[in-house]
Amino acid sequence: MPRVFITGLGFITSIGNDATQVTQSLRELRHGFELYPPFQKPEIPVKVAAPVRGFATDSTDCEDWSFPARYSIKREVLRGMAPHGVYAWCAMQQAVEDAKLSEADVSNAQTGLYAASGGSPYLMGHMLQRMHTLGVMRCSPLGIVASISGTVQFNLVAHFKIKGSSCGFASACASSSHALGFAYDDLVLGRQKRMFVVGAEDGNMDAILPFAGMRALSLQADPNLASRPFDVARDGFVGTGGGVVLVLETEDEVARRGVKPYCEVLGWGQASDGHNVAISHPEGTGLRAAMENALRATGTAAEEVDYVNAHATSTPIGDLSEAKALKAIFKTPAARPAISSTKSLTGHGLSLAGAMESGFCALAIRDGFMPGSAHISKLDPECEGLNIIRSTLSAQPHIALNNVSGFGGANVSLVFKQTS
Amino acid sequence: MPEAVQLNQGSNKPFVIPGKPFAAEDEAALREALKRCSPSTFEAAVQFRKTGNPEHLPAVVIGVIERFVEPDLRMKLKDADDDLRLIEDLGIDSLTMMEIVILVEDVLQMSINNDELRNLRTVGDVKTFIDCKVRGLALPKPTKFLPIEQIAAIMPIQPPFLFLNEASVSSNGANGKYKITGQEFFLQGHFKDNPVMPASIMLEALGQLAVLYLLEGAATEPGKVISPNTIFFTGCEGVRAHRVCRPGDILTLSIKPKRMKMPLATFEGAIRVGQEKAAIAEEITMTFGFADAVAQPVPVNGATTKLNGENGAHAPTPFRAAVNT
Repeated sequence: MPRVFITGLGFITSIGNDATQVTQSLRELRHGFELYPPFQKPEIPVKVAAPVRGFATDSTDCEDWSFPARYSIKREVLRGMAPHGVYAWCAMQQAVEDAKLSEADVSNAQTGLYAASGGSPYLMGHMLQRMHTLGVMRCSPLGIVASISGTVQFNLVAHFKIKGSSCGFASACASSSHALGFAYDDLVLGRQKRMFVVGAEDGNMDAILPFAGMRALSLQADPNLASRPFDVARDGFVGTGGGVVLVLETEDEVARRGVKPYCEVLGWGQASDGHNVAISHPEGTGLRAAMENALRATGTAAEEVDYVNAHATSTPIGDLSEAKALKAIFKTPAARPAISSTKSLTGHGLSLAGAMESGFCALAIRDGFMPGSAHISKLDPECEGLNIIRSTLSAQPHIALNNVSGFGGANVSLVFKQTS
Repeated sequence: MPEAVQLNQGSNKPFVIPGKPFAAEDEAALREALKRCSPSTFEAAVQFRKTGNPEHLPAVVIGVIERFVEPDLRMKLKDADDDLRLIEDLGIDSLTMMEIVILVEDVLQMSINNDELRNLRTVGDVKTFIDCKVRGLALPKPTKFLPIEQIAAIMPIQPPFLFLNEASVSSNGANGKYKITGQEFFLQGHFKDNPVMPASIMLEALGQLAVLYLLEGAATEPGKVISPNTIFFTGCEGVRAHRVCRPGDILTLSIKPKRMKMPLATFEGAIRVGQEKAAIAEEITMTFGFADAVAQPVPVNGATTKLNGENGAHAPTPFRAAVNT
């Protein structure tokens, strides 16, 4: 079985728009939260979000949008994109550069792209409203392409001339981890030599606020307190958006191109709760099974894991469920890995989460640190016994695990290893 | 193209000025819709909406097209003739054409069918189309593009005396191009050590374009076609040469019918080289005669099979949104 490595990363996130900024934010625990202007209305009880900086995508007309000067996107490319399409496009540019890929490396039958996003509720809403008021023939010709789930890979595959496998994954907050897992499988099975894995979300009002109805969002008005996974006073997640791209390559490609990878993707596991459409199993059975599957598939003993990037989104039920799953896997208190939820800095990126946090694990392994779990003032007593680190450790994780859980009780656990 | 013509006429209602006058909020909506167009486009649209005067249409339509053309190609539109092609010259794809249509519909308050778009290849086609829509006139036959092979197949005149490399023919006239290669036999003697295209041959080239128009663009009586064997030159008026044309020059020829009544057809013609006027003929007159049309096989399902260059040569099929769903 060929080994698989991460050779390139691109980030447009609430804590930085490139790997350098992101690394600094993770090390120094700088968060991306603010009192999000569109929420500052009396009728909206949610106040805090973690928007992407440097981009203006709040118009329904893509020609009004602006983005950092280093990116230039033509109108004919932009017109089929949602805001998160632009974030992903920029992250893709970074990842291609970072992995030192030529045009031929990107566009060939052996290179594919798997992606995940929840689509663009914002543009979909605009288009439907236009259809109802002006008639069906007055909708933007590319309104569908820009707004439905799948818009990310439609755009990136076309504009980067991807010739290999491509598809999208829809398992809500587990989506981009599924994308990464199945991309890994395609490489291991010899179907592809290189895969781009993309996670992206709009992270604007229409993407975030529908979660208020299920009482999943934090109502905290203090950006320093709103997202605090594992804290006893946590009251929901804070929404974010962005785009993250990872480049996965087989060992042959790494050797042929002579590039230095961030880390190895050892493998993955998944399992489902079979319990509730939106609520995690109270004992975390699905996530526990996903971690067991991942460890078994990669031949990793629980004691070998140095760092876990937890899914913990700062909801009362979800964090507790994960804590129970972690305790069940990492039984020996003395050998428990360092655990943190970087959602305490970024907020919850939904379909973006798995790719973003896998990217964080790759940075942590290469640069030798483990980001702390911020904003915990009083640890939830239920989480006692787990090694939840509250500040960043300057130690290189040898093996790191990334967890995600999505609607429907889908759970994915990915295993990354330091390149020897 | 018979089925397309029928569909066109069905939807081709004259423009009606709305009952209520053009109000301030209409103007605001129009300004918003045209915010990325030039100020003159907006002004023309306002004038059209207020008065219904079709004279303002070309400015509106060209302004909307310009807004969707990549900035580096917009210069082409500035000094465009009506032959400028939407796909080949301006890089407009079928989806961009949809965007243009939606904005034109919005601004001019009309609706345009997909079928009607199929034949719009040039800026001139678009102008004529909108003009006919607004005036409630039947739409003209689509412009046909004819490469040299097809021209030679149609024309009674043959090489080495055929002076057209390519041509486009519509019901309003015809345009063509001829590159002086330097290999033309008569240049050996015209003149000694100084090859110059004879003005008489330039007039001949215009006459050939008029012949092509008679065979491919002119309206005929039902069941009749103009017979190639009946067309002959009868006279010309007001012919002037303005520029010496030599090997390497590309002659851009155009003719427009002025009068046509069996058995005489009179045209005006002009030749340019680039932007320079090379020659004009105020009138070129030909005789022609009819022959019975031979029935042609009708394709199954009305598919637009190309018969005798009916739908142009092998130019890309314009503006059917090719959509994968």
